[in-house]
Amino acid sequence: MGLFNTLATALGLRKREVNVIVVGLDNSGKSTILNHLKPDLERAADIVPTVGFNVERFKAQSLAFTAFDMSGQGRYRNLWEHYYRDCDAIIYVVDSSDKLRMVVAKDELDALLQHPDIRPRRIPLLFFANKMDLKEAMSSVKVTMMLGLEKMENKQFHICASNAITGEGLSDGIAWLTQAAEGRQSKT
Amino acid sequence: MAAKSNAYMGSTTSLKQIDKSEKWLDALSDPLTSLYTFNSSIALSDLNGDGDSKLIVADLGTGTYQMKLKVFRGTSLMSENTLLDLPTGVVTFHMDTTEPRVPAIAVASGAYIYIYKNLRPYFKFTLPTLEVNPSEFDLWTQARDDLIDHATLYDTLDLLRKDVGAHCLTTRTQHLLMCRTPEERQTFIDAHKYFIVKKRTVITCITTMKKNMAEEDAVSCLVLGTESCQVYVLDPEAFTLLMNLHLPSVPSILTVTGMFDVEYRMLIACRNGKIYTAKRGMEEGRLTAELSSQPVGLERREKSFLVGCMDDNVYCFSNHGKLLWRLRLGASLLCMTTMELASHAQKLLLVSLSNGEIRTYQDRQMVDSFQLEHAANALRFGRFGREENVLLIVDQAGGLQVKILRRRAKFEPMETASALTAGKELKLNIPKKTKLFVDQTMRERDNSQSMHRIFQYNLYLLRLEAARQYVKSLQMSLTPVTTEEQPVRLAAQVLGLGPMFKIRVELQNTSALKIVQDLGIRVHADEKLYQVQRRFMHAPILIPGVTYVYDTLVEFVSDLGISDQVRVFITRGTQSRPILSAVINMPVAEVAVSA
Repeated sequence: MGLFNTLATALGLRKREVNVIVVGLDNSGKSTILNHLKPDLERAADIVPTVGFNVERFKAQSLAFTAFDMSGQGRYRNLWEHYYRDCDAIIYVVDSSDKLRMVVAKDELDALLQHPDIRPRRIPLLFFANKMDLKEAMSSVKVTMMLGLEKMENKQFHICASNAITGEGLSDGIAWLTQAAEGRQSKT
Repeated sequence: MAAKSNAYMGSTTSLKQIDKSEKWLDALSDPLTSLYTFNSSIALSDLNGDGDSKLIVADLGTGTYQMKLKVFRGTSLMSENTLLDLPTGVVTFHMDTTEPRVPAIAVASGAYIYIYKNLRPYFKFTLPTLEVNPSEFDLWTQARDDLIDHATLYDTLDLLRKDVGAHCLTTRTQHLLMCRTPEERQTFIDAHKYFIVKKRTVITCITTMKKNMAEEDAVSCLVLGTESCQVYVLDPEAFTLLMNLHLPSVPSILTVTGMFDVEYRMLIACRNGKIYTAKRGMEEGRLTAELSSQPVGLERREKSFLVGCMDDNVYCFSNHGKLLWRLRLGASLLCMTTMELASHAQKLLLVSLSNGEIRTYQDRQMVDSFQLEHAANALRFGRFGREENVLLIVDQAGGLQVKILRRRAKFEPMETASALTAGKELKLNIPKKTKLFVDQTMRERDNSQSMHRIFQYNLYLLRLEAARQYVKSLQMSLTPVTTEEQPVRLAAQVLGLGPMFKIRVELQNTSALKIVQDLGIRVHADEKLYQVQRRFMHAPILIPGVTYVYDTLVEFVSDLGISDQVRVFITRGTQSRPILSAVINMPVAEVAVSA
């Protein structure tokens, strides 16, 4: 069985699986981003606040992503850490128009990076500075500064401004994530 | 390299967070908002019904000009409305059941309440006018008809002020009495005399009370305290007075729980330093607690309430007015508010002190504290933006600070247990009441009357017995002093160690003039024990004031080691009945040493 899987993957018949967790504060647009990454037929018309978490699957280039769409509400945030162990990549979504709660986003990110399941691993982190269409939105550079990403060590990260409703900037981010995940898998 | 940079970061953070709490995240610190406001003039509410809570501030401006109603959304100012007069309080409430459920803002200012809906002026409510003092009304009517001149009007009003007090007069009269020069008065009177004089009161505090449903977005009534010592409840739809409560003093802080149509309980802190309670159906407030100084803040708990006072203490009273505990703050209290953490089911007290410290107390234990650059004038904790636990601080320099409580923050007592017990008052170790004690108490309570009677009866018996003995001793002449026809005092003493004693008898005539004559002194003792040398001595005359001394030797003749009494009688002439007597208790005699 193991031999068959390896063979199928090597021949490109079967896509490699990557587990991704999608985290961020409530109302930052995690479910909307994942909704936009799904094929047109499966998209939902209305996005409601996530309760607990949802599991979404989508394909990009040679990889099959299994995304855990975690709820960002305060009372569900302690669920995040239970999924850190088995994830291969993290997508962190930030509402770039919410200046007030940028400190909360930074606090949650710091807690994530300090977690024992994350800290020793060189795991790719993709940041979406979402809601770039709003007039009070900050640029991705400003978001990088406010989250203190330049001080981050031992991780590779990429940040891109996005608009989850129109899908702007999403493909750019996913392309980087695919590349980072592939490089990581080929190494192991 | 990594370790070095880590150390560097660590040092900077520790330098920055000297007095900062680990529990709060600094979301915003804007020293340039220039807000001048107090606790009562801040509200947090979801004004647009979009789940994004806004900050509503009634800004006092400079205190004279530039009064504004400001609404902040996140970090930015969203709208600004000019206010006509100084605001005393701001509340948000649902006044109807129309969809979408958008709350209205009520701003209390002077004698008016301005209602804003969708951030636009909607309605103005005026408090009912009060009765004008009849003589004041007459004076202004006469002035209008030019029956009296300005000087007379001014002087009579001034007399009236001295008579009834300035607070009983209308604002127009008060204003006139403040004019210094006759010209000023003249212009003032000319400008105002054609209008009917009215007496208005001023709103001192405002709060809300749910009408008949307990839901968060249910229709609420407005509750107002006024300068005329009254509390009004207003109907939210028709804006009619639903209830009018009278108080002995001016209310300054109001808190209400319950619903108007069901049951409610108001706590009213007044300017006379007393706290009154009112329930549904009461026309007058019931005195609940008396404070030693003026109240600054009033916060309600389940079965108790907390009062912060100007004497730098926070007092906790039960709902019945019993003082449960007291907390010393050590600095002046500027304002206080309740921090309700639904996730931890905790209700904490936030206090702002004049030294710029913000402290958090759970009951009487300090659980957190942090230092601000300027002392905070106003504190408000609640939902702001999309975040549940946000603390908004307006400091004395006019800056606005927003702090967000960290998700993992827990409030636990900072002090150690030993420090706490030292601060507490030690309880006296009173033993339990035994059954015997209780029985005795019960018996005493039941038979108190008969017990008293028995005691009195015995007391009378004792007195009677004492009187009888006294009479008997008088009749037997057992006393050493006589006052009858022979005023003589007798003093007898025994000298020596034995077996040979000397008995010395002193006689004195105690009268001023009368001479006592022909007295005989007899010494009587048991012959088996004592041998008396001179059994009879004759005292022929006693001159007043002089002490006569008579001695006799008494020898102890028995070989038993005992002692007895020796009696001395004074007789007169041939009478056998003694006029005086004395009993001498002889000491035990020493054994004679034969030479």
